[in-house]
Amino acid sequence: MIASAETRPHYGGTLRVMMQSAPNTLDLASNPSPADYWDFARTLSLIGDTLVTLDAQGRPQPALAETWQRDAGARHWQFTIRRGVKFHDGSAASPAPIAQILGALHASWTVRATADSISIESDAAMPALLAELALTRNIIFKRNTNTNAPVGTGPFLVAGWQPGKLLKLAANEESWRGRPFVNAVEIEFGKSLRDQALAFELGKADVIEAAPQAPTGAPQRPPTSSSLSSSLPVELLALVFPANSRAQDPRLREALALSVDRQPIQSVLLKGAGEPAASLLPNWMTGYSALFSTSPNLPRARALLADASPPALTLSYDPRDPQAQLIAERIALNAREVGITVQVSLSGADDVRLVRAVLPSSDPVMALGEASRQLGLPQPPLLEKSLDDLYQAEHTLLEGYLVIPLFHLPVASVAGSRVQDWEPGPLGDWSEPGSSAGNALGDIWLADPRSGAASP
Amino acid sequence: MSFRKKLLLLFAATVLICVAVISASVYSTIRHSFEQADRERANAVAAQFRLEFQRRGSEVGRKVDAAAASEITQRIALDMNRGAASPSDSVGEARILAGQQQLDFLELVDSRGVILSSAQWQAKFGYSEAAIAEAAGVSSGGVTPPPAVQAGAFLKREELPNGATLGLFAVRAARVGDQPLYVIGGERLDQGFLSTLEIPAGTRVLLYQNLDTKWNPNLLLDLNGPAAGGDKIAPLIAKVRDTLQESQSVIHWTSDAADAEVFHAIPLSGPIFAAASEANSTNAKQQLLGVLLVGSSRRPLIELQRQIISTALLVGGLGVIVAVLASLWFAARVTRPVVSLAEAAHRVAAGDLSAHVEVESSDELGELAASFNRMTADLSQQKERTLQAERVAAWRELARRLAHELKNPLFPLQVTVENLVRARQKSPEIFDEVFQEGTATLLAEITNLKNIIGRFSEFSRMPQPQRRPTQVNDVAHSVLRIFSAQFREQNRIAVRTELADALPEIPADPDLLQRALQNLVLNAIDAMPQGGELTIRTRGLRDYVEILVSDTGSGLTEEECSRLFTPYYTTKQHGTGLGLAIAQSVVSDHGGKISVESTKEKGTTFRIELPCEPQA
Repeated sequence: MIASAETRPHYGGTLRVMMQSAPNTLDLASNPSPADYWDFARTLSLIGDTLVTLDAQGRPQPALAETWQRDAGARHWQFTIRRGVKFHDGSAASPAPIAQILGALHASWTVRATADSISIESDAAMPALLAELALTRNIIFKRNTNTNAPVGTGPFLVAGWQPGKLLKLAANEESWRGRPFVNAVEIEFGKSLRDQALAFELGKADVIEAAPQAPTGAPQRPPTSSSLSSSLPVELLALVFPANSRAQDPRLREALALSVDRQPIQSVLLKGAGEPAASLLPNWMTGYSALFSTSPNLPRARALLADASPPALTLSYDPRDPQAQLIAERIALNAREVGITVQVSLSGADDVRLVRAVLPSSDPVMALGEASRQLGLPQPPLLEKSLDDLYQAEHTLLEGYLVIPLFHLPVASVAGSRVQDWEPGPLGDWSEPGSSAGNALGDIWLADPRSGAASP
Repeated sequence: MSFRKKLLLLFAATVLICVAVISASVYSTIRHSFEQADRERANAVAAQFRLEFQRRGSEVGRKVDAAAASEITQRIALDMNRGAASPSDSVGEARILAGQQQLDFLELVDSRGVILSSAQWQAKFGYSEAAIAEAAGVSSGGVTPPPAVQAGAFLKREELPNGATLGLFAVRAARVGDQPLYVIGGERLDQGFLSTLEIPAGTRVLLYQNLDTKWNPNLLLDLNGPAAGGDKIAPLIAKVRDTLQESQSVIHWTSDAADAEVFHAIPLSGPIFAAASEANSTNAKQQLLGVLLVGSSRRPLIELQRQIISTALLVGGLGVIVAVLASLWFAARVTRPVVSLAEAAHRVAAGDLSAHVEVESSDELGELAASFNRMTADLSQQKERTLQAERVAAWRELARRLAHELKNPLFPLQVTVENLVRARQKSPEIFDEVFQEGTATLLAEITNLKNIIGRFSEFSRMPQPQRRPTQVNDVAHSVLRIFSAQFREQNRIAVRTELADALPEIPADPDLLQRALQNLVLNAIDAMPQGGELTIRTRGLRDYVEILVSDTGSGLTEEECSRLFTPYYTTKQHGTGLGLAIAQSVVSDHGGKISVESTKEKGTTFRIELPCEPQA
């Protein structure tokens, strides 16, 4: 293969990234908002590594751990740690510190280190341990004793940190994955999508976030000379009834679920992005989501309310979500069709909430557990990967209509024309080589490195 | 009430009634005129608002025209006719157009009546717009807007996420191809709309948005939002809702009539848009969507009325004063002879027969005065004659009594002197003895004569009473104590007392009162030579104290009773006739009365009435 001078990767330059979230600490546990999850996941994955990763099919891939094995009951796991990996402070990422970090993260685990491996034991079976270890919350970090900044093993190390505003990352020359092409990454936090788009148009940002976009083939208008990347649907937009909701009657909740016409919302407000959903897990993960009907059924909804006078409900939404208000208003409009008064409000006590839940894993069991946790549903029983069990568990969770799934949404980002070989993974991840089909952020290079603010 | 006061009142009442009638008449006429003027002013203001309303409708129409001709609308219409319309691209365009044209409402609706984009409710895309959907149902081509919305602006109820509101709308079509794209734009009909209206001084405008099936005070708006005191306007609005006709009413906000307002209620109607499926069978009708209330303060009118009333009261008051003064003069002139006659009559009644009335006219009153003068002159002469006759009679009686009283001692004196002379002449040896006896008899009779003269002298020297608080019962007890020894010795007269308890003290001279009562008791004892019962009773009446002295003697004849208190009159052999006269004199000096009741052979009762308060 012959590459021209313009297309040959080369080192140098600073990649400028903008994000909506504005974290005060680089700690996922301190920032539990689902809306900020992907910003954290992407940022932290540049700094640290997990023991294993999952590909789009949910298959485990080696990362800090090269191999692993388990006993028959999935209570005892043994991971062989990659040799020669160092933390950004120069210390060895040997089994001992890794075991210490994991042990601190999971009190119910017994984590032991040997010379070249660690063992994880638990009283309960852990069939989904690999999926758990692949989650962002299990990235292996130490903390800088002075700045409390994370010190990981990833392709970039923390060079500067202004809480809530700016994170400067420098290329890790000794990354076990190899040195990234760019010299540095600057992530500006707290930028709205509008500000990000404006900065992008003015050439002040290389990678920005974007609202969910329609899959390939649907009409869309990405910025000129830019690369738009949408993930698989990895978020669930749903209506959630809190415990103190006035909608205590399941018939009212079911009527509301039956009143929502998801198709116009998906085609117009979501601009074709995402998938109408009545299940917690997306179809790409389970293949059975068609069993959960997304079609409205107004006669049935009216019949449910025939002998009842439903109370007026207040629907709240996340103001940081640019599409949430219109979607909420549309839901209120749909509800009015069947005689349910829904008032859209930003503040005050609410009866139903329009929320996003993150599906952080390609493993359906792990994703269902995480989604249930975020939506306030009970944790499903420990499952093997049987589709029947998964379907039954999901069906059980949705009985009573305490959660009404609406859409499965992708996450999207846009890279400028100077960003080369930009191809995030299908789950929207930026730095998990081997786990996804695309290249990680560490693999991209800048066509015009001198235009970067921090180019050497 | 005196004749003069009656006349005065009659005159004053006549003047008052006249003034009141004239004032009421003037007030009624002026009030009617001003209310007429006020109604005409309210009508003029209402007419002005109708024009303003039409102007605002035209303005909305121009803005919607501009929106329909805009590049955005033309592009969407072109895409729609090409079949390349993307709802997701156009969903936000209506809001942009509305912002450009400063319209509160704007919707882009395709020829089937489906909303492509809504500025006021962005989530409403894909729903039907009744104003266009009706037309689409009527005309299969779907290119003719409904008649109700073709021309000018119209009122429409607009559903919004937070509830319904009222708007002034206009519809225009953007025709790029066969299928028109309708632009429905409008302005909110609320307090903001009211604030843009030019309001004449002294008037204000309220708007009732008839968006609820029942009266809802929150839908009554003024310039600042929901208007206060809506419940007082509710009947007027209910009337307009019932009749769909303009109406007018006076609203009293407080007890002060000047705070009242005249409200002219103008119904604001808009077309009823039937659903497309019903449009074939239903013609567009009008429905009441709002009521515009033009309020005009009644303060200027009321203050003018008050000024008129004040002036009328002032003039009327002055008129009444003048009338009263004139009445006083006139009544005085008319009643002066009558008053003189009345005063003269009072004097005559009081015993002054010298009263004389001036005869000032020759009319009936003058004749009456002359007759009165003649009558008093006659009475005076008759009284003088009576007095002279009584004086002569009294002197005769006195002379008779004196002769009688003096004759009795004089006869022993004469016999004694004759005995002394005869003894000196015939029996000088017993002269000394006779002389001793004779001088004793002479001295006794002379003493008797002196007593007679003393009693007459005492009667002529009756002292004036020295009043002090006196208990009549004590006086009665004193009198009985004086006679107690005599009663015990004679033992023929039983004494009985019935003295009232808690008798009030009266202002009296107890010594004089005791003397009067002694005379009555003595008189009773003399009336019962054969014995009997003497009763003394006292009792307190409302204004006086009564003393009754009764005996069970032989009684008196009527003629005796009538003369009983005449001085020197007595029915006794040895009485002076002064006892009862003294009693009457004492009682009279105390302002009281004494009377006698007697029944022959049963007894006599003397009644003394003494006032509790001193008499003038």
